Amino acid sequence: MHIDSERHCRHLDDRHRHWAIALVTGLLCLAVGLEGHAHGVDDNTRAFLEGSTGVHVGPFLYIGARHMLTGYDHLLFLVGVLFFLYRARDVFLYVTLFTVGHSLTLLFGVLANIGANAWLIDAIIGLSVVYKGFDNLGGFQRLFGRQPDTRLAVLIFGLFHGFGLATRLQAFGLPEEGLLSNLIAFNVGVELGQLAALTIILLALNVLRLLPSFQRIAVVTNTLLMSAGMMLVGYQLTGFFNFA
Amino acid sequence: MNASPQDNQPIGIGTLMKAALIAAVIAAATLLVVILPAEFNVDPTGLGKKLGLTVLAEGKTKVPADALAQTNQTASPEPVSMSDVPDPIDEAGAKTSELIEVIVPGGSGIEYKFQMEQYAQMTYQWITDGAPLEFDLHGEPAGDTTGYFESYVVASATTVRGSFTAPFDGSHGWYWKNTSDQEATVTLEVEGRFEVIGLK
Repeated sequence: MHIDSERHCRHLDDRHRHWAIALVTGLLCLAVGLEGHAHGVDDNTRAFLEGSTGVHVGPFLYIGARHMLTGYDHLLFLVGVLFFLYRARDVFLYVTLFTVGHSLTLLFGVLANIGANAWLIDAIIGLSVVYKGFDNLGGFQRLFGRQPDTRLAVLIFGLFHGFGLATRLQAFGLPEEGLLSNLIAFNVGVELGQLAALTIILLALNVLRLLPSFQRIAVVTNTLLMSAGMMLVGYQLTGFFNFA
Repeated sequence: MNASPQDNQPIGIGTLMKAALIAAVIAAATLLVVILPAEFNVDPTGLGKKLGLTVLAEGKTKVPADALAQTNQTASPEPVSMSDVPDPIDEAGAKTSELIEVIVPGGSGIEYKFQMEQYAQMTYQWITDGAPLEFDLHGEPAGDTTGYFESYVVASATTVRGSFTAPFDGSHGWYWKNTSDQEATVTLEVEGRFEVIGLK
């Protein structure tokens, strides 16, 4: 190992590089294996939600956590946000901004019964992924000479992510009885799921950052992030025009 | 404070444009050939069908009447033809008949529903080609937000016939669950007063 004094980062020599690649690949396989959904709620959850009344903190906590861990549009945005955040306090700041954003609209959206179109909201969430990939590539700086305030962008897109969570929950007509408790449990669950996702993402990023070819990996990854975001937008808009 | 990507070596505008273009091309190709055919049966290039993906979204296709007769011959209980079942009382609107093919992918469940007014009647017969399917013939009241639904029949079978009268305005129909790993096809014949909603 040698230390690059300018960047205070260490590069892996060949021996460790293979382990790093294996670890990242393994984590990615785990993430993919968790089977993302963009709109669906599986049969068991549907059956539970349709049949239940009253307060069920445990189940909603779990459903919230699983929702975040299998919501690949949310996860992709998180990857983009965290990609170039090196300091713990920056990670904390941006995650808090995202959390405040999505919690506000999750609670407001469900309690005020906002009838937002799920396809359109999810298309905007897809757009947030495209934005982040582009921003990570320095696109705004290059193209427009200035970069939009990332903190504000994360907060505002967070609001849309929250509406996306809300529409998902609303689709199953939660009973009025116990709604607030169940909703808060769901929100806490989402945050727990986010915490778990954060840990995995940061672990993977920190391994990638040690690779000597990280610059190139960064360009490739953020290009793919933009592409994934575009696919999300295309999919959601098609759904909107066909089914809304 | 912003953690700027410029902390790293900034990439030139040429690389940026190339990256954006590659991203767009990959997205467009994947959407047109894989995602839209599989999810929505939207296949502008026709390649989705060639790859066999459109079957995943082909929830509803019209099947000629003799196809139903063919499947009837291989079923064990002799199904009754629709004309043997007494006509429902024709209240206001005309009676509709539909012959529908619904695909239930292996290991999953789907819903197929009809919009019906209160006291509208539907006569039905369905048959599946493979293993018995668990099903729930049920109705959800229009405008309901409590998640309430009424199950008229819950069972597991390869073929069922009968009729029901909708107890309330709303969406009525089947939830079929395929517990095998082979795709199952349900051929459903319905007659009565309804509007097809389709797959939900």
